[in-house]
Amino acid sequence: MDMTLNAFTLSLLTGLQLGSIYVLIALGLTLIFGTLGVVNFAHGALYLIAIYLAVSINNTLGFGLALILVPPLLFVIGVAMERGLIQRFYDRPHTDQILVTFGLAIVLQELLKWIFGANNIPFAIPSWGNGIVMLHDYLPFLEGFVVYPKWRMILVVVAIVTVSAVFALLHLTRFGLVIRAGMRDAEMLQFLGVNINRRFMVVFGLGAMIAGIAGVFGGPVTQVSPEVGMQLLVPSFLIVVIGGMGSLGGAVLAGILIGMAQSFTAPYIYLNTIIIYLITVIILLVRPRGLLGAKGVFE
Amino acid sequence: MNTQSNFWQYNKTVLMFAVVALTMPFWFPLMGGYSGLDTKIMIFCIFVVGFDILLGFTGYLSFGHAAFFGISAYVTGIMLKNFSDNIIPAMLVAVAAATVVALIIGLLTLKRTGIYFSILTLAFAEMFDSMAMSMLQRWTGGENGLTGLPTPMLFDLKMQGDTVFYFCALMAIALFYFAKRIERSPVGLMMKAIKCNQTRLEYTGINARRYKLLAFVLSAIYAAIAGSLMVVYEPFVGHEFLGWHQSGEIVIMSVIGGVGTLVGPMLGAAFMLYFENVMSVNLGEQWLLVLGVIFMAVVIFMPGGFMEAMARLKKRFFTTIDGE
Repeated sequence: MDMTLNAFTLSLLTGLQLGSIYVLIALGLTLIFGTLGVVNFAHGALYLIAIYLAVSINNTLGFGLALILVPPLLFVIGVAMERGLIQRFYDRPHTDQILVTFGLAIVLQELLKWIFGANNIPFAIPSWGNGIVMLHDYLPFLEGFVVYPKWRMILVVVAIVTVSAVFALLHLTRFGLVIRAGMRDAEMLQFLGVNINRRFMVVFGLGAMIAGIAGVFGGPVTQVSPEVGMQLLVPSFLIVVIGGMGSLGGAVLAGILIGMAQSFTAPYIYLNTIIIYLITVIILLVRPRGLLGAKGVFE
Repeated sequence: MNTQSNFWQYNKTVLMFAVVALTMPFWFPLMGGYSGLDTKIMIFCIFVVGFDILLGFTGYLSFGHAAFFGISAYVTGIMLKNFSDNIIPAMLVAVAAATVVALIIGLLTLKRTGIYFSILTLAFAEMFDSMAMSMLQRWTGGENGLTGLPTPMLFDLKMQGDTVFYFCALMAIALFYFAKRIERSPVGLMMKAIKCNQTRLEYTGINARRYKLLAFVLSAIYAAIAGSLMVVYEPFVGHEFLGWHQSGEIVIMSVIGGVGTLVGPMLGAAFMLYFENVMSVNLGEQWLLVLGVIFMAVVIFMPGGFMEAMARLKKRFFTTIDGE
């Protein structure tokens, strides 16, 4: 493989950018799975709601309001979803949880298709995010003229900030401590007199909110059409599995790994289409628990 | 317990299904079903009965059975196009190919339970879908599907119209009977024990993996037969045969009808195809939305599907009369 430094840098950036969206969606999935033990097949639909809300607000009221409104709105939608539906399924078998969220995903997707149509809606990037970054100005080792879309770099930065914020919340606050304890042993926490039900609700909202942030910044990159939700859900699931179910660090690691793998195999079209599945199979054969999966968690 | 007294009971369902299936061309058009839809219903009855051997008996929810359906359909198409228009060799090779794939996927995925299994089967199916769309495009026709197939022949018999219907109906009856036989066999009991409590089953010294793999491969064979018949019924292979929509559709059919009852999923399949093709005329583009709502309502309020609904109604109206 003969690759110039220029091409390598660009592939690296594309890998980071692809990984960013995956990480943001997988983070919510794994957070919900780790605490509530629910596999949320409707998580792709949450992202879908986010991008449609974002594009509607962005194209009428401007990007600033979309950024302020969409994540909190998604938090509310997530909480409503948990209270109204998911809550009833904590005591039911896992398959029932998969089925009901799968049904919800279809309903939400079809509803959005009905309202907004099946075609892609153009998502106008705000003026400050438009244009390209001259990479050769910052990185002296690059030869000649190397540019990258500015918006995609912003997306990477947003992902880094969001992931850091989630980790800070979980590791530096009392709320986070309780959530992490809940991920390990929810029953024990209940015996200690902690109302985990309310915190579960917040976690679900949080997962939805991260999907909201992903939607605001990812919408212009992933396009805005009803199929996007399911298209992203499958790789995100695989990332959660590769990283180890319920492991936040694992999700981040696996998300970047998959993003990089897709980016660096781009010249080899055949390998590119199956690389993500290939990695999943190999990882699961070598490490059945996933990269950072904890022992005894949903085995 | 007593198989002898249950014998009539079991065969009654098969006989009833046979009567309903074989008379379908006479009464189905009266309900507004176009000719050909009945054939499709028979084909999907085969698919869901097989799926119920896995989901209903062992409790393993696969989101990737489109893989076996699709692979078999493609192999049938390729065989018909390049080898012979006789369906017998085409179907045999197709089912054999899908079985081999099922063995490999089964060995890899059945190590994991519940959620992992669902996600992994989904991933494998998506992988085959991507492969058919890219590296195998030369053989599969990519997005356009596999076209230009000859009229399938059963030796000297042209597989068209009623001939295809009766061929599919007879297959469906035979395979339903076979599934019923499995259900009441010791093997079926083992499969159901896996659903109840796999850990406890293993503690009794039984190798649960063997039965899981058997259930998985059997259900894949049913899916493969259905996929192959789909090409015999309509000499064309669409790329959506391999997609997750197809896998999801089978799950919806099974759940709406009533998982674990064998008859229920067939009712679900008939309902869904009828809904999709006949009732959807009034709903237009929104039929899938309505179906999604029905599906969710069933999962939330009636996990046993149509079969549970029927049992409840029966109990309500006949308890006092029978004095049960």
